[in-house]
Amino acid sequence: MKHLLKVVCFVIIFVILTVSFSNSYTRVNLDNIAVVVAMGIDKGENNKLKVCFQFTNPSSISESGSSETASTILKSVDASSISSAINSMNSYLGKELTLAHCKLVVFSEELAKEGISDIIYTLMNDAQTRPSCNIVISKCTAEHYINNSKPFLEPLISKYYELFISSNQFTGYTSNATLGKFFDNMICQSCDPYAILGGINLQLPDSSQDALTNKETSDKSNSASLSGNTVSENVGLAVFREGALVGELNAIETLAFMCIGNEVKGFLISVPNPQVENQNVDVYLTPKANTKIDVSLVNGSPYITVDCKYCGQIYSMTNDSNYLDSEILSRISESCNRYLEYIFTEYLYKTAKEYKSDINAIGKNSLKLFSTIDEYETYGWREHYQDSFFDVSAQVNVRSSSLLSDS
Amino acid sequence: MTDSKITSKEAIMLVVTIFVSHTIVTLPQNLLSNTKSATLINLIYVGIIAILLAYVIYRLLKNFASLDIIDISQYLGGNVLKSIVGGIFIAYFIVTSSNLLREFCEGLRVAFFPMTNILSILVPFILVLFITNYLSFSSNVKTISLIFPLVLISIVFLFFGNFGNFSFERMFPVLGKGFADTFITGIGNIFAFSGISCLYFIPPYLKEPNQMKKICLSSVIIGLMYFLFCTATILLLFSFFVDVDEVLPLYSAASYIEFGIFFQRLESFFMLIWILEIGSYLIVTNRFSISIFQKITNLKFHKPLAMIFPLLIFGIALLPKNYSIIRFLESNIYAYFIIAIVFVFGIAILFLANLKKRKEKRVKPQKIQ
Repeated sequence: MKHLLKVVCFVIIFVILTVSFSNSYTRVNLDNIAVVVAMGIDKGENNKLKVCFQFTNPSSISESGSSETASTILKSVDASSISSAINSMNSYLGKELTLAHCKLVVFSEELAKEGISDIIYTLMNDAQTRPSCNIVISKCTAEHYINNSKPFLEPLISKYYELFISSNQFTGYTSNATLGKFFDNMICQSCDPYAILGGINLQLPDSSQDALTNKETSDKSNSASLSGNTVSENVGLAVFREGALVGELNAIETLAFMCIGNEVKGFLISVPNPQVENQNVDVYLTPKANTKIDVSLVNGSPYITVDCKYCGQIYSMTNDSNYLDSEILSRISESCNRYLEYIFTEYLYKTAKEYKSDINAIGKNSLKLFSTIDEYETYGWREHYQDSFFDVSAQVNVRSSSLLSDS
Repeated sequence: MTDSKITSKEAIMLVVTIFVSHTIVTLPQNLLSNTKSATLINLIYVGIIAILLAYVIYRLLKNFASLDIIDISQYLGGNVLKSIVGGIFIAYFIVTSSNLLREFCEGLRVAFFPMTNILSILVPFILVLFITNYLSFSSNVKTISLIFPLVLISIVFLFFGNFGNFSFERMFPVLGKGFADTFITGIGNIFAFSGISCLYFIPPYLKEPNQMKKICLSSVIIGLMYFLFCTATILLLFSFFVDVDEVLPLYSAASYIEFGIFFQRLESFFMLIWILEIGSYLIVTNRFSISIFQKITNLKFHKPLAMIFPLLIFGIALLPKNYSIIRFLESNIYAYFIIAIVFVFGIAILFLANLKKRKEKRVKPQKIQ
């Protein structure tokens, strides 16, 4: 009898719990959800947002073989907020949208200039949104950007969005700007947020560039020197101040940002060849140690010293190169030093004076100068950052070329 | 009086379980909002004070062999004081565990069960208490001993998994909100060591009561190390953990752990371990509440109470109307409640009982053991 009572109790409890938890299960059941892989947010009419959602087409994934690219579905809706846009789309699709697999959030440049902090807060408030989701500021409309983001070396769009930024660690031409980092930098009192600069390749001829200048290093999204079938581009960074877009960085400025922030594992630079006039030599640099940043206050203004060390390997080779001569290697090293010091200094003054934005979070290094938070807040790092002076020192040790040393 | 005995290692795990469970919800954030960037220094400071207090409690309990604070209060003031002390500690255990349970379940609802009523999320925890109350205390503690290492490993893993995202500059300004806020009013952060309350009740359960000193000191030191890991993870990871309130900050911190594209979304795994930890906490507080009630009512068996205390916890957990009330209670009321009961009232009872004993020793030394 006692045993029977236990079994009855167990069955009753099992049934009650199954029924009560079934609603949550039903909501996240694969049959009832629409998986969003990317979301685009544009400025709509009458102060509204135009939100577009990109979904994977489950049937096309199963039907297409590994050689074919799975098709995607793009739907847009006008709404007063992100939440109401999701709600409207839920109603339209007859399924519930899930942002748990959303790898990319794209904002149009126009909207970003007006400020996106409220949207970022809303996205962070959503339990499904991943902090690792990338943020792109598109030079064109977000919808156009997503529509033209076609993975040409990947069959799956979701995998493409996960990996499209991975080259940044060995080029330094863009950064892995995620939602989590953006939110953190937006709230932090000693730093400012940044995002990936995206655009569509217009393939317009650019006659204003001098033939001898490094065109590829001044590239940024929408004006890159790429041709072919490429459509979306992600080169450069969008610089924010207090949640609003204030400027852009091109590829080489982004490289400077990456180097100062210790986010790059290696990168290629073209520096003037000390042996031959009007000719460049390509050197691949890898960090020897983390960049050291020191901040001190001189007459109330930040005095910032940046000290970086790299090892170099020469990539370019000509028929009269002699890289066994240590004198030549030291001259190339010196050329690299001057080049890096120049681009780092230019980048730092540009972000500090022009954009008034500390995207490298140099302000964190100033925290130790203050004993209390009140002192730090009274000083106001964000207001004083524009008065900063920079002293950049680069030490490059070019060791050798690659397989060939002397021609 | 006790249904079974526990070893000193099991006792240490039991005490640390009480420390640990509050860190899973909003304890680290409450500490950070009190002392900001100076929280790690403040924790070391209040940790040292907590170690000293644990030693004081050990010295005060030493004169009463295997008696707990309820027996000692009976010795001090008879049945009236025993009932008052028992009632206060029952209220303390029930109210704190109800609030912790509700807060954790609210987090579970937000993260995993958005369409499920909070009542349904609370019920499985209450069922666990029903079942464990019918088992012996030592089997409960043995289960806790199995879960506890997993919880400890999860926090160490959380710390090292996020290590690459840490900014050590966030430890500055070194004095946070100021010297007074860190070292004078900052003493209030000692409420984090509320697990010390268990030290008042474990002597009757110990197989080796002479190991009490080791239990007192080891549990507080392990608890301190654990707090340092948790708070450092939240302080050094991102600034928004300090400035913006999160429902489950450690859960959010876990969502940042990624090892390449293969090992992602580990937070669900962490949550599974933490659910077990909250269950362990409830078992301990519930068993102590039953034990106290048994003593003040002179009941011989605890099984008739097996359903009453879990239902009490369940009822009180349902009382707050919304999450803001729970957070208000957690961050503004319970800190003082814990300090008053655990660190002032408890120690005062032991101290007075020791004075009485010393006085009796002087007057009638032949009557005192």
